[in-house]
Amino acid sequence: MVGELVVKNLTVRFNGFKALDDVSFRLDSPFFTVVMGPNGAGKTTLLKSILGLIKPASGTIKVYGFDVFKETTKIRRIVGYVPQVININLHVPMTVKEIVAMGALSKTLPPRILDRRTEEKVEKMLELVELENYSEKEFTGLSGGERQRVLIARALIKNPRLLLLDEPFSMLDFDIKCEVAGLLSRLFTKLSVDILLVAHELSPCIAYDPQVILLNKKIYAIGKAADILRLDILKQAYPGVTEIPQGFIIGEDHA
Amino acid sequence: MLELLILSYIVASLSGLLVGSISMILTTSRSITFGLTLLHSILGGNILGIYINTIFNLAVPVPLISTIVAICLSIIVGELVERGFPEDISIAFSVSIATTMTIVFGYMSSQLSSLAISRAWAYIAGTSAISTLEDLFKIALTSLIVLPFIHLFYREFKYIAFDEDGSKAMGLNIRIYRYTFYSLAAISAAILSSTIGVLATHVILAVPGVLSLKVFKRFSIPFTYISSIGIMILGYYIAGLLKIPPSGGIGLVSILTFLGVVAFGRHS
Repeated sequence: MVGELVVKNLTVRFNGFKALDDVSFRLDSPFFTVVMGPNGAGKTTLLKSILGLIKPASGTIKVYGFDVFKETTKIRRIVGYVPQVININLHVPMTVKEIVAMGALSKTLPPRILDRRTEEKVEKMLELVELENYSEKEFTGLSGGERQRVLIARALIKNPRLLLLDEPFSMLDFDIKCEVAGLLSRLFTKLSVDILLVAHELSPCIAYDPQVILLNKKIYAIGKAADILRLDILKQAYPGVTEIPQGFIIGEDHA
Repeated sequence: MLELLILSYIVASLSGLLVGSISMILTTSRSITFGLTLLHSILGGNILGIYINTIFNLAVPVPLISTIVAICLSIIVGELVERGFPEDISIAFSVSIATTMTIVFGYMSSQLSSLAISRAWAYIAGTSAISTLEDLFKIALTSLIVLPFIHLFYREFKYIAFDEDGSKAMGLNIRIYRYTFYSLAAISAAILSSTIGVLATHVILAVPGVLSLKVFKRFSIPFTYISSIGIMILGYYIAGLLKIPPSGGIGLVSILTFLGVVAFGRHS
């Protein structure tokens, strides 16, 4: 499916400080893109701005032609979002089925009853993320990788055209990170869903040759990893970096 | 006498239903501190209501005034949080307003009439062990309003508690749902404070939710209701045995239950 994500002169301020400063870029479908940058670089702010959750000081964002700040309802339909696992409240007793159904039920009105059709859709999504027979399990009882898969299934249930993932590799062992990256790559190919993810580490994705955006309040580079992860470019985005980090692990993972 | 006793137990059961409906959401959304703030607001509102009625010689229902005060102070907390203030600071601000109201209007009421002070005490400790038809009517009416709304929006409240960012991204209007819950909790707490008292409501608010989350996670909703009603009925029974106000009995049972949960949690 042809489309694009266009961010133009985006500036976001929090209490007078610039979180994003005149950010502009364009991604044409199909894209599998990783946004990298140091802590406080504005990566999550960028994702939330694309979702229309943060109002910018200036600039525009268009997702497949829809203005995210004016056509919020349409954006909610076509964009799936996977938040950082660290922001999930594990005290709430939720089964896998309930969580995945959240994505589908958001299109209905209260009391949002989980009907047979939704249950079938949930099962289908769980199959897609390779978690068959998990629907009745408690979310808190799952491993980090399984939790991430459940959240991806929740985002996918509404058939989004664009999937935004906020640090999907955080708090995971390296082999699990690779499994999640592999799953995302398969979904990218199988469902033709565009993927934009924020990460501190590129190595789990490197086999899938993603596009990389180097961000630190401003865009420092966009391109294939091999082209832009060069010391001269990295030094601009990551003050203090003196050599190419092993595995392209830059900044702090929430591990 | 038997009829009055039965009436008291019906009031206790309905109060349990009300407590259960808000306790679960308060516990899961980690808003217990907010719930306790709400009770400060209720107390401040009760004292303000008594003062207004005394000085102007009116008969405005005190729970109505306390509900309005609680909703206003809750919205102040919600707005401060929405505008980026930390939750604890926002709560502290709201508590300081409520406490100031309690102190100032409590003192002013005591200067006007000794009856005002005894009425204020009734809101703190709860009314007598014998419930009245008026208590039953108030609790039943509040339950009829609060319970359907809580269950209509239960899934939304749960989703928001589980993942606020994800809920926003799905299009849920967090602010509207939050204020709806605050209002329902304020109405419930105001009515409960006029029957079992602010202190007992304070004590019991968290216990059923914590109990069901710790012990019966899988069936948390029915268990919250069962435990809440159980604590209320047992509290009334113990209060009758010890000849103390129901709030004292409810408080005792709540504390013992909570200690049991802590002990169970440690061993499980």
